Amino acid sequence: MLVKDYMTRHPLMAEPTMSIVEAQRYMGENNIRHLPIVGKGKRLLGLATRQTLLVRPATLGSLNVWEITRFLSNLTVGDVMVKATDVITTSKDATIEQAARIMVENKIGCLPVLEEGIVVGIITEIDLLAQLMEMMATRVPGVRVTVRMPNVKGELAKLVGAISAQGWGILACGGAPAPKEPGKWDAVVKIRYVPREEIVVALERIESQEIVDVREI
Amino acid sequence: MTANHRIQTPILEVENLAISYETRKGDVLAVRDVSFEVHRGETQGIVGESGCGKSTIAFGIVNFLGRNGKIVGGSIFFQGQELRGRSEEELRRLRGDQIAMVYQDPMQALNPSLRIGDQLSEGLIVHRHLSKEAAYEKCIDMLKRVYMPDPEAVMLRYPHQLSGGQQQRVVIAMALLNNPALLIMDEPTTALDVTVEAAVLDLIDELRREFDTAIMYITHNLGVIARVSDRVGVMYAGEMVEQAPVEEVFLNSMHPYTQGLMRCVPKLGLSKESSYLCPIRGRVPSPAELPPGCIFEPRCDYARPRCRQTHPELRQAAPGHFIRCLFAEEIAAQEWQPPEDLIPDLMALAARKAEAAEPILHLQNVRTYYEQESRSVASLIGLGKKRYVKAVDDVSIEVPKGCTLGVVGESGCGKSTLAKTIVGLEPLTGGEVEFLGFDISVPVKKRDIRLIKELQMVFQNPDSTMNPSFSVGHQIGRPLRRFKTVPRNQVRDEVIHLLGAVKLSAVYYDRLPRQLSGGEKQRVGIARAFAARPDLVLCDEPVSSLDVSVQAAVLNLLLEIQQEYGTTMLFIAHDLSVVRFFSDYIAVMYLGKMCEIGPAEAIYAPPYHPYTEALLSAVPIPDPRAEQKRIRLSGTVPSALDPPSGCRFHTRCPRKIGEICETEVPPWQDAGNGHRIFCHIPLEELRQMEAVVTIEEESNAG
Repeated sequence: MLVKDYMTRHPLMAEPTMSIVEAQRYMGENNIRHLPIVGKGKRLLGLATRQTLLVRPATLGSLNVWEITRFLSNLTVGDVMVKATDVITTSKDATIEQAARIMVENKIGCLPVLEEGIVVGIITEIDLLAQLMEMMATRVPGVRVTVRMPNVKGELAKLVGAISAQGWGILACGGAPAPKEPGKWDAVVKIRYVPREEIVVALERIESQEIVDVREI
Repeated sequence: MTANHRIQTPILEVENLAISYETRKGDVLAVRDVSFEVHRGETQGIVGESGCGKSTIAFGIVNFLGRNGKIVGGSIFFQGQELRGRSEEELRRLRGDQIAMVYQDPMQALNPSLRIGDQLSEGLIVHRHLSKEAAYEKCIDMLKRVYMPDPEAVMLRYPHQLSGGQQQRVVIAMALLNNPALLIMDEPTTALDVTVEAAVLDLIDELRREFDTAIMYITHNLGVIARVSDRVGVMYAGEMVEQAPVEEVFLNSMHPYTQGLMRCVPKLGLSKESSYLCPIRGRVPSPAELPPGCIFEPRCDYARPRCRQTHPELRQAAPGHFIRCLFAEEIAAQEWQPPEDLIPDLMALAARKAEAAEPILHLQNVRTYYEQESRSVASLIGLGKKRYVKAVDDVSIEVPKGCTLGVVGESGCGKSTLAKTIVGLEPLTGGEVEFLGFDISVPVKKRDIRLIKELQMVFQNPDSTMNPSFSVGHQIGRPLRRFKTVPRNQVRDEVIHLLGAVKLSAVYYDRLPRQLSGGEKQRVGIARAFAARPDLVLCDEPVSSLDVSVQAAVLNLLLEIQQEYGTTMLFIAHDLSVVRFFSDYIAVMYLGKMCEIGPAEAIYAPPYHPYTEALLSAVPIPDPRAEQKRIRLSGTVPSALDPPSGCRFHTRCPRKIGEICETEVPPWQDAGNGHRIFCHIPLEELRQMEAVVTIEEESNAG
């Protein structure tokens, strides 16, 4: 699960000479929120987002109506973009969790993917959310069970063992430390083609683990 | 596709595009009202006969129209941004960074005086400011991606030191180096052998998936289109007449032109006994003289008065299926009937039967070697060992009277040399050729004129085999006068009769070759070959350079004439569907040797020679349902100067069984009914091979 498999290749890009009005129209029409600004050879020069395209009212405060129009029509994305030196980027071969971490820690919504300064793609929060959705096989119907277990070696193996002992397959599996319960760990498994009751019966037999949530999706 | 959160904007969106060329007769609209979209990771095929404006669209997108061409209407959106009206400089940057093109002839895209490495890395060094070493490394990586054998060595070579397939790989690698969003491919495999073509098509498909590139693929070959495209647009005389997903176009085509095209190509595995080709009558109108209503109306079998008056708009007939025809739904519902004027011809064709007859041509261990010049001192004084290119080596065949022998193989396999040897244009190195019981192992100059008369040839390229300064009538009349087929005062009548036989009217008598279309020229070539009423006609790729609808007409014509005159034919072609359709017997050649020979239907079913199997698996089939086994030959045909020992195919054979293949010449194995295979693998094992091509027939398939 590397960035290169989940990024959008050939993102829509613009040149720094594009006017702000044009950029707003371009982003709106194509329903995108991030616009890498590139120069010759797709070299990253900056990044425009919907926020950067908004003009701060304070800058306009001192201008009269005619000046505002001229000011706005002369403004280009090159003037307002986040300059390349300040844009946080990633590489094709980073893992998606690394990309997620960078985005979470910097509270940003996208990472241009660069290769020697050249834009080769872009990965956004939506790409990562889509991947979370795929990891949990959200679109495939099945039974989703959350099992709470002590955070001890061998516990997950018990759960997997109990499922495979029944001859069932695991469609999706994920896990994380249990919220607000130190020392516990939550595992989510998704099982297909088996009635909910049978799953509950089989998993309840595991000592030291409890089912905290079962639902059919 | 699961990734529906991705950008929905098509990479390329062409809307109502119109392109005109300035000519001496005024502006000519070569492309009118063409609209289509290419999405990321998708291939949009554009198919049509020559002169339909396919390439013009491609040139229009990148503004390569030349001085006399201009876009006169519509818009081109690339990544959601309008390209029309952009400055030269902006377009140039876009072309360098985001759009790449691959053209038909790789030799024209490569600079012959620069090493491959320098050409490939130039763009990276100039555009991306990479250091020479880094750029070289990237290029080598990319050459590996396109499966170039030995990329490091290739970087140091010049283009002429590579084979055609390798050159095309270099061009594709060059196109992909900048990771373009859009790749425009204009007939990229047309100049390549089927085996190479199959490998290049596989490569294109793989790269499209990996790099998410949008591909616009232009070709005239329906088989290739069926293999690579997701969506297909059919062009006719500058307009798009049908556009739909590939299965729709091939299985439920609604426009009469598309349906007609489908009937023009022989399906692999069908023979002339069980089927016939139906050419589309007439020819593509020139863009300067378009009919007022539907542009296809003059050639359409369903034309009605309204078609003559109203120009149909492109409309959606089914979800995602666009057509430009007023009555498409009615037409699609009807069962197609051959037009009445064609029925008698077709009936006659269907009725023909090849009876087993006496062999007319008999080749015994025929060898044609070309002496290779050597530069050593020893050879200068005549002491050196002479080296030979063994173009045809030890070939023995028989052709029964009135039958057709098809010869297939990759280029450089000696097919044409074989034909030239028989006709006497190349001297025989060894063996015997017997024709009508006469020994014809002598060059054509020493042959009796009556013998020359009986052996005629139809060439691949009608342009270069016709004298441009003589009229058609004169050229056809020449063999008549020379061989005294008819008295002198009847030559003109006979020529007109012959023109009639090839479906050309008497007005063509005084025309010059440049006034004819490609198909007409080839007809004249055929008329000339048949003028002497020969017993044997050698056809060397007679339809390769022709459009499908013309090809169908020419093939039908050859069949008809063959039937009328009872002529025997040797038919050389690289298109296996055509050869299967046309021939009674087929010989498969590899590197100057026969590997398999037998009745046509036997060649296309197991047991196969491993080489035949590979060839069959490479043929592009104009049916998206066709399942082919994937057998790809590695490397190129070895040099005939120093052919491999033992079985010549062993260096590339995927079924090689061991040392025996390298050391011993394979035996002839008789599979019955004259079907012989030259292979070490026991017949029983060969018989157990699966059929290479299977087409899943749905119950509702028409």
